[in-house]
Amino acid sequence: MSRIYTEREVIARVPGLSGARLLRFIEAEIVLPIRRVPEPGFRAVDLARLGLACELADQFDLEGEALALVLSLVDQLHARRAELRRLLGAVAAQPPEVRAQIAAALARGRPD
Amino acid sequence: MNSDPYAALGLSKSATDAEIKKAYRKIVKTSHPDLNPDDPTAEARFKAASAAYDLLKDPEQRARFDRGEIDASGQERPEYHFYKQYAGAEGNPYQGQGGFDARGFDNAEDLSSFFDEYLRGRAGGTGRSSGPGFGAGFGAGEFHAHGADRHFRLEVGFMDAVLGATKRITLPDGNTLEVTIPRGIRDGQTLRLRGKGEPGFGKGQPGDALITVHVAEHPLFKREGDDIRLTLPIGIDEAVLGARVEVPTITGSVKMRIPKGASSGKVLRMKGKGVMGRGGKRGDQLVELRIVLPPKIDPELAQCMEKWREKHSFDPRRGMKS
Repeated sequence: MSRIYTEREVIARVPGLSGARLLRFIEAEIVLPIRRVPEPGFRAVDLARLGLACELADQFDLEGEALALVLSLVDQLHARRAELRRLLGAVAAQPPEVRAQIAAALARGRPD
Repeated sequence: MNSDPYAALGLSKSATDAEIKKAYRKIVKTSHPDLNPDDPTAEARFKAASAAYDLLKDPEQRARFDRGEIDASGQERPEYHFYKQYAGAEGNPYQGQGGFDARGFDNAEDLSSFFDEYLRGRAGGTGRSSGPGFGAGFGAGEFHAHGADRHFRLEVGFMDAVLGATKRITLPDGNTLEVTIPRGIRDGQTLRLRGKGEPGFGKGQPGDALITVHVAEHPLFKREGDDIRLTLPIGIDEAVLGARVEVPTITGSVKMRIPKGASSGKVLRMKGKGVMGRGGKRGDQLVELRIVLPPKIDPELAQCMEKWREKHSFDPRRGMKS
């Protein structure tokens, strides 16, 4: 889980990633390696993010700030989803009558 | 994978290289799980299409496939780690400060549209498969959610709170939970044990156990933040003449000097003899002196005092006169 990958391992594992591209991604702060002397280290989350970044770069010619912008939107999307999961968990833990009340209140507020 | 990579991209064998690229691009847009996290069927479509694209994007390899020299197997990428798996997780370094506490939903409307989604999803019924062999997402028809948090109350001894300890809680279901009490914990503080709450729904993560700690009192020591306060009884002779006495501290007895002429209520500070604080700095022990007379005043002491009073006048209440 907490394994740290070297630059070389990252380039070998992420399809479509070259050394030059990784450097550009780091410069654009698309990926934030854990700084480690003598070379940067990357987490599993960085690898997955780099995979997505390469896909977007290859298919949509996104680079630099445009790519950073898209990834920031993706981050926001996932943040809201994580919040929603927490919220739904809290609702699901309520007694059935409370859940029914919430459902009824939502049905009332729904625009037709 | 699908034995026909052209079909996976929605193309025929006669498609041009440009058409293949375009078709794949479209599938990335509509079916990449990181970009379409609410669509439970996206991952299956995307995996099939990307395997097909890997095979067909190279004209030479495509020609070999078309001639029947290679088949479509073995083309799948070794193992997918979609960003989705990490993106919403606790501690994602790309998430910044999020959550209900920091920003939350701006208004009730946002919440309600989320709930609509949730209720529609439930109404659609469960048990719908999202495609053979692929993990389902969070889309309509399925419900995954974090489990609820569980709340506990834990009574901790004064010394255990000061020095840290490991405690066991027995849960209503008979299981036990090991709780590490960090040293220096304060009364009323809550510990969070990730994943030790109620189980999650569907593929949701379990909730957390929230343990509110109550620290018991100590017969000698009192906490004042990271400082410890102690009342130290001293004899009348020690107060007059000064002394070196043993003082209990949280880490054992320590010798301390009582200065000559110490009054009751005087507070002496023993640096670094308090509780280890969060910043790694130990608080002090504050020692309040209290002069205690012998239970019985013997004639010798009384005589000595009478003699002293004849020659000296000292009024400790001088400042109180109006």
